[in-house]
Amino acid sequence: MSTIEAVTMPKWGMTMTEGTITSWLVTEGDVIERGQEIVEIETTKLSNVVEAAAEGILRRIVLAEGTTAPVGALAAVIADESASEEEIAAFVASYADRQGEGLSGQSAGTSSRTIEVPGGQINLVEAGAEGGETIILLHGFGGDLKTWMFNQDELAAVGRVIAIDLPGHGGSSAVAAGDPVADILIRLEAALDTVAPGKLHLVGHSFGAGVAALLAGRRPDRVSSLSLIAPVGLGKTMNRDFLVDFVAAERRRPLQNVLERLFADPSKITSDMVEETLKSKRLEGVPECLSQLADAIADQTGQRISIGDTLTKLTCPVLLIWGDLDKIVPLPQAGEVPANARLQTIANAGHMPQMEAASAVNDAIVENIRRAK
Amino acid sequence: MAQKSFRQALNEALHHEMARDPSVLLIGEDVTGGAGANGEKDAWGGVFGVSRGLLGQFGPERVRDTPISEAAFIGAAAGAALTGMRPVAEIMFSDFFGVCLDQIMNQAAKFRYMFGGRARTPLVIRATYGAGSRSASQHSQSFHSIMTHIPGLKVVIPSNPYDAKGLLLQAIRDDDPVIFLEHKMLYDTVGEVPDRAYTIPFGEARVVRDGKDVLIIAIGRMVLVAEEAARLLVAEGISACIIDPRTTSPLDEETLQEFASEIGRVVIVDESNPRCSIATDISALLADRCFDDLKAPIKLVTAPHAPVPYAPNLEDAYIPTPAAVADAAKMIARR
Repeated sequence: MSTIEAVTMPKWGMTMTEGTITSWLVTEGDVIERGQEIVEIETTKLSNVVEAAAEGILRRIVLAEGTTAPVGALAAVIADESASEEEIAAFVASYADRQGEGLSGQSAGTSSRTIEVPGGQINLVEAGAEGGETIILLHGFGGDLKTWMFNQDELAAVGRVIAIDLPGHGGSSAVAAGDPVADILIRLEAALDTVAPGKLHLVGHSFGAGVAALLAGRRPDRVSSLSLIAPVGLGKTMNRDFLVDFVAAERRRPLQNVLERLFADPSKITSDMVEETLKSKRLEGVPECLSQLADAIADQTGQRISIGDTLTKLTCPVLLIWGDLDKIVPLPQAGEVPANARLQTIANAGHMPQMEAASAVNDAIVENIRRAK
Repeated sequence: MAQKSFRQALNEALHHEMARDPSVLLIGEDVTGGAGANGEKDAWGGVFGVSRGLLGQFGPERVRDTPISEAAFIGAAAGAALTGMRPVAEIMFSDFFGVCLDQIMNQAAKFRYMFGGRARTPLVIRATYGAGSRSASQHSQSFHSIMTHIPGLKVVIPSNPYDAKGLLLQAIRDDDPVIFLEHKMLYDTVGEVPDRAYTIPFGEARVVRDGKDVLIIAIGRMVLVAEEAARLLVAEGISACIIDPRTTSPLDEETLQEFASEIGRVVIVDESNPRCSIATDISALLADRCFDDLKAPIKLVTAPHAPVPYAPNLEDAYIPTPAAVADAAKMIARR
């Protein structure tokens, strides 16, 4: 029997229930490469391109341009030449039968909850099934767990994926005054002991990657692999103006200007992304909190967090993923990458490769997780 | 995040601000909601249930029922504001602005200007507006355009629960008189609203949805109509951007101008009558500033120049519909 792969309506974030096909970038009969951009989809909040998760021939387009369909619906079929037309038709029919069985609305297995730990609340979103690997996602400064909208469901293929709002961000409560980084570490450790007591694969972005590395240093026994996307803490240089301007931006236009520095292609920034960021920044106490954190990340002389020595002592696989056009935390210099870490650069991506080159980053993370075995 | 109704969002804002600031008080007809509820104080929380629980928590000194005289209690509220209180007055239906317009237009709106900039008037006037509830022509009107015309007033017209809470908190903390308009048909709409307090600055439009073919500017409840129209347009291959100004005074001219110039095709949707309205005002502004970038005439989809009818079929025909907005967009989208 030939391998037949489904291209389905993706789920980009908790609130997405359906999407509309705006245009197909390939036609039936085209040879598709893994990672190739194949279809443009619009939701009520954003429009984005879906990359092929399989290679082969695009045998069938099921959802025509202009069609709106629920998350999980079959959009197209990729298979090689050996699959017969009958097999393709049977595959499409099997999907049609599944329509309406939990495909619409929030995908089964994705749930949001807030837990109490000493020092405050931690908000998190879980996806995927228990029993496989457990993957923890930690976003960067000023962000929240929605950073992982193009990653969490994809990574759920290998296990349970928990995206966490860092203290002082998203739905989690504020950080304590004094030493905010220490407070974040203590509360995250408590949260992880509650929700995911076994071995973990830690994935972090930017400041969240620094936090992930420090967590691994505190609890090396619990960490199976470490995937760090553009982490703070390896070098001394970073764009401190970004931190300061981000905290200061109270309105849409100034914030958009700041967010544009994160991406190699600023057109990836949607108005919804700007509004959602403003929403979290408007919450009482958040600006003060971010300001404290910004000071803890960098001062006039550069970065204040250091993870190099911590990483060197780890025995688990350590992967560094970096966009080659990162304008916030520049690519590490020779000598700044620990000997036990692998550095994978992503071409034409800025400080947010997990959004700008989602499938390449997802593949790299999955590969790093597999190395742990 | 918690899902809350527009009504709950407003109620939370009032609770939060009354607890935080002892100078905040409510004044209006039936704001305690006790009347008609078998003597149980606070049973309703006002005719629309927005002030529920406030009388019990903050007492009759700070949640004050008044006789049916808008001129009297709006005047009292304006005076209280001058003395340093932060009153939130409620006019049950904005149709009754008529009976207290002198207090609003000639008094509250003028104090800062006539007293050499030394008077502050931190007054909020909440009022319902809008058609759709079968309440006939004296309880269904949309007067935000009239209030926007008066200098010295700020005019806020939220379209969703999140904005309702953040804008009401901002309104109460603002040092000028603010007209805060709530569409009756929005009270039961639901959306994500944080438990914590937050404020949304005035004069900051929200980009509701990105799109490249046509810009729809919609006011208050009409944002929902525009969103439905945008869904209809997707099926036609037309991608609509929607902007909600959120406040009509101050108006975020910069954002409207930026998007109108970029997209070049504009539809404005408004429930107020079309002569001398916010729709014609925005249209004039964009025609003046973006003329060279416009690729088609600016289209207005508004109520007709007529009172709101009572007959349900006529009332439905009076209110701009998603189909009418989509038609207007289609007319200009491919020019």
